[in-house]
Amino acid sequence: MIRRVTGAAAAAVLLTGLAACGGGSEEGGAGSATELTYWMFQDRTPQAGEVVEKIRTDFEKANPGVKVNIVKIPKDDYNTKLGSALAGNTVPDVGILDQPLVSRFALEGTIKEVPAGTLNEADFWEGALNTNKVGGKLYGFPIDHTAVALFYNKALVPTPPKTWDELKSISAAIHQKDPKVAGIVVPKGDGYGAWMWPGVVGGAGGQMVDEANKKILFDQPPAVEALQLWVDLLPSSPREITDSDQAFANGLAGMMISGPWDVATIKDQFPDLDFNVAPLPYKTTPAGNIGGENAVVFTKGKNEALAWKWLQHLTNATNNTVLAQALGGFPVNKEAAERDAATFGEQQQAFLEQLKVAQARPAIPQWIQINDEIIAPALESALSGKMTAQESLTDAANKTRALLGWNS
Amino acid sequence: MASPVVAQRPAETPARPGRRRRRPGIGGRDHLVGWLLIAPAMAYFIIFLLYPALAALYYSFTEWDLHSAPIWVGLQNYTDLFFDDVKYPHFWKSIQVTLQYTLVAVPLTLVTALAQALLINTIRRGSNLFRLLLFLPVVTAEAAVGAIWRWLYDPQYGLVNAVLGLVGIPRQNWLNTPELVIPALAFIAAWQCGISMIIYLAGLKSIPESIREAAVIDGAGPVQRFFKVTVPMLRPTTFYLVVTGIIAALQVFGLVYVIFSGGGNRSVTGGPEQSGLAYVLHIYLYAFRYNAMGAACAMSFVLLVFIMIITFVQFKFMKQEVS
Repeated sequence: MIRRVTGAAAAAVLLTGLAACGGGSEEGGAGSATELTYWMFQDRTPQAGEVVEKIRTDFEKANPGVKVNIVKIPKDDYNTKLGSALAGNTVPDVGILDQPLVSRFALEGTIKEVPAGTLNEADFWEGALNTNKVGGKLYGFPIDHTAVALFYNKALVPTPPKTWDELKSISAAIHQKDPKVAGIVVPKGDGYGAWMWPGVVGGAGGQMVDEANKKILFDQPPAVEALQLWVDLLPSSPREITDSDQAFANGLAGMMISGPWDVATIKDQFPDLDFNVAPLPYKTTPAGNIGGENAVVFTKGKNEALAWKWLQHLTNATNNTVLAQALGGFPVNKEAAERDAATFGEQQQAFLEQLKVAQARPAIPQWIQINDEIIAPALESALSGKMTAQESLTDAANKTRALLGWNS
Repeated sequence: MASPVVAQRPAETPARPGRRRRRPGIGGRDHLVGWLLIAPAMAYFIIFLLYPALAALYYSFTEWDLHSAPIWVGLQNYTDLFFDDVKYPHFWKSIQVTLQYTLVAVPLTLVTALAQALLINTIRRGSNLFRLLLFLPVVTAEAAVGAIWRWLYDPQYGLVNAVLGLVGIPRQNWLNTPELVIPALAFIAAWQCGISMIIYLAGLKSIPESIREAAVIDGAGPVQRFFKVTVPMLRPTTFYLVVTGIIAALQVFGLVYVIFSGGGNRSVTGGPEQSGLAYVLHIYLYAFRYNAMGAACAMSFVLLVFIMIITFVQFKFMKQEVS
C-alpha cells in the first residue's frame, strides 16, 4: 500500500513539474502602452548596445505611450529564428533582414512595401537603397551598409594601385623582390569570393544580370576580364603563401581585398603593421560590391505606422552615423555620411568612397544559392586552372539560366 | 480492480501466470503509475524525436521555405535530388565526399584507437594519465578543434608541415588542396578517437589471461598472438565500433563546418572545389541558407534509408562473434 502511495505521489510530482514547464508565458504588464517589437542582430560590443539603447529611449521620449521592445539575436541564428517565427506566427513587427533575402520575402508577401512618402530616396546612397528594391518597388529601409576595398601594406606598396594594370604590376614587383611574399591575397572561389567579385566586374563596366530583361550578363566580356584579372594575379600571389592564417596582417602579402571589420581586427592584433585602405582598382569605371543590413516591416506584424516611424528614426541624419558605427558598417543617409566622414578613421575613408559607387546584388530570390552553388565553383574552376575564365563563366551562366528559366 | 492485486501479493510468484491472464494490456493502477513514471521520457521522445521525424517526412514531400505554407509536390524533391543537377548541382558530389571520408576516417580511427588501447593496456604505471590525455580531444569543443587544426595545417607556419619537413616531405597546403582535404579531415577524426579507444581498452581487459598464457606456451610470438588471439577476441568490439563509426562518419558535420567557415565571414560551402562538402553540410545549406527546407528534409530521409541499408548489410555479412 505504502509503495503505491509513494509511486502515485512521485508521479504527481513529475506531472506538476511537467505542467510547470509547459505554461509560463505571462501577459507581462503591457498596460496601455503600444509595444513595437524590433528584431536585430546581437550587439558586437557593449558600447554598441549602449548606442542602440540611447536611440531607443530617444524614440520613446518623442513618442509618449510607445514602448520599443528590442530583441537581439546572434547573427548566425537570425534567419533560422526568423523562419521559425514566421512559420509559427510569432513575427516581430519590424526587423533586420539580410539584403539578399529582401526579394524573396517581398515576392512572397511576407514584408510590406514602403508606403509612398515614407522615405525620401534622395536622402540615401543609391546602392544601399537598391538592395531594398524588387521589381522597381521599395520594400525596406537600408540601415547601414558596407563594402570591400583594397588593403595595402605601406612598406610594400607605397602608392596604392588605381587601375588593374597598376595592380598587376605592383603585385608582380612585390613577389619578384621577395619570393616569400605574395602580391595580393586573391579571393577564392567560395561564397565569400563570389560576393566580392561583382565589385570587380563593375570595375570593367559590367553587371551580373539584367533583371528587367531576364538576361544573365556574367558570361560577358567585363565579367570574363574580371575573373581573368584574378587568374593573372595568381602567379605573383601563390596560394601556399596567401592561404596562411592572416597572411596580409603577418606581412606575407602586400595587398588584400576585405571589409572594414578587418581594420579593427588588424589594428588590435597587429599594432605594428603600417597599412591603409584604398578603393578597389578598376578598369573603366569605379565600382564596388555591397553588404549590410536592411530593415523591413512584416505583413503579419502590428503597428505598421509606428514601425515605419521607427525606421525613419534609425536612418535619420542624427542617428544613422552612430548606429551604423555600432553595427560595424557605414551610414546610408547621405547627409549623415558626408557630415561625419571625418569621424571615421583614416583607414575607413576608402570604404566611404567605395560605397558611393556600390552596386546592389541582383534582386532574385535564388541569388544566395546562385552565388554559392554556381558562381563560386565557376570562379574556383578558373582560379585552379581547370577551365579558362570564359569556359567556366559560360557554363555557370547556362546553369543559372536553366535554374531561373531565363532564355538569355 | 485494485483489491485483488493487494490480496495476491504475498503469494506473488505462483500467482503470476494467472494474474497475467486476467489483466492483460495496460490497465490497472500499477501500470498507470508505471506509465506516469515514464511519461517525461515518453513526452521527450514524442515531442522532440518522433514528431519532428514524422513532420520531416511529411515536409520532404513538399516545397517549403519555412515561412510560407508548404506546397505538396509528391516525390518531386526525391527525383530532383537524384536527376536534376541544375537544382542540386553538388548533391552527388556531397555523397562522393561523404563516402570517401567514411572510407578513410573509419579505418584510420579504429586503427588509431586500437593502437592507443594496446599501448595503454601495456603500461603498468600512469595509464590513467595517458588515458585522460588521449581522451581530451573528444571533450574539446568543436569550434576550438577547428581553430587549432586550421593552425596546425597552416601552409606557412603549421606544425604538421614542420613535422613532415623533418622527414623530407615538402610543405603541403592541406585544407586548400582538394585532394588533401579528406585525408586532413580524417586525420582529425582519428585524433578524436578517444571513445573507440576506451571501448577497445574494455575489450582488451576482457580477454582472459589464460588464453594469452596458452598461446605463449604454444610458442606464439607477440605478432602471432596479436593476430591470432587479440584481433579475433576483439571481433564483437570491432563490429560494434565499425557499425557506429560508419553511422557517425556518414553524418559528419561540425568538423567540416568549423574547419571551413573559419573567421566569421568565410564561406560555409565546403572547402576548395566542394572537396569537403559533407552530406549533412549540404542538407544544412539547403535548409537554412537557401530556404529549401522541403528538399533538405528529403535529403535527410535519403541518408536515413542509406544508413539503414548499410547497417543491415553489415549485420548480415560481417562476422560479429568470437570464432
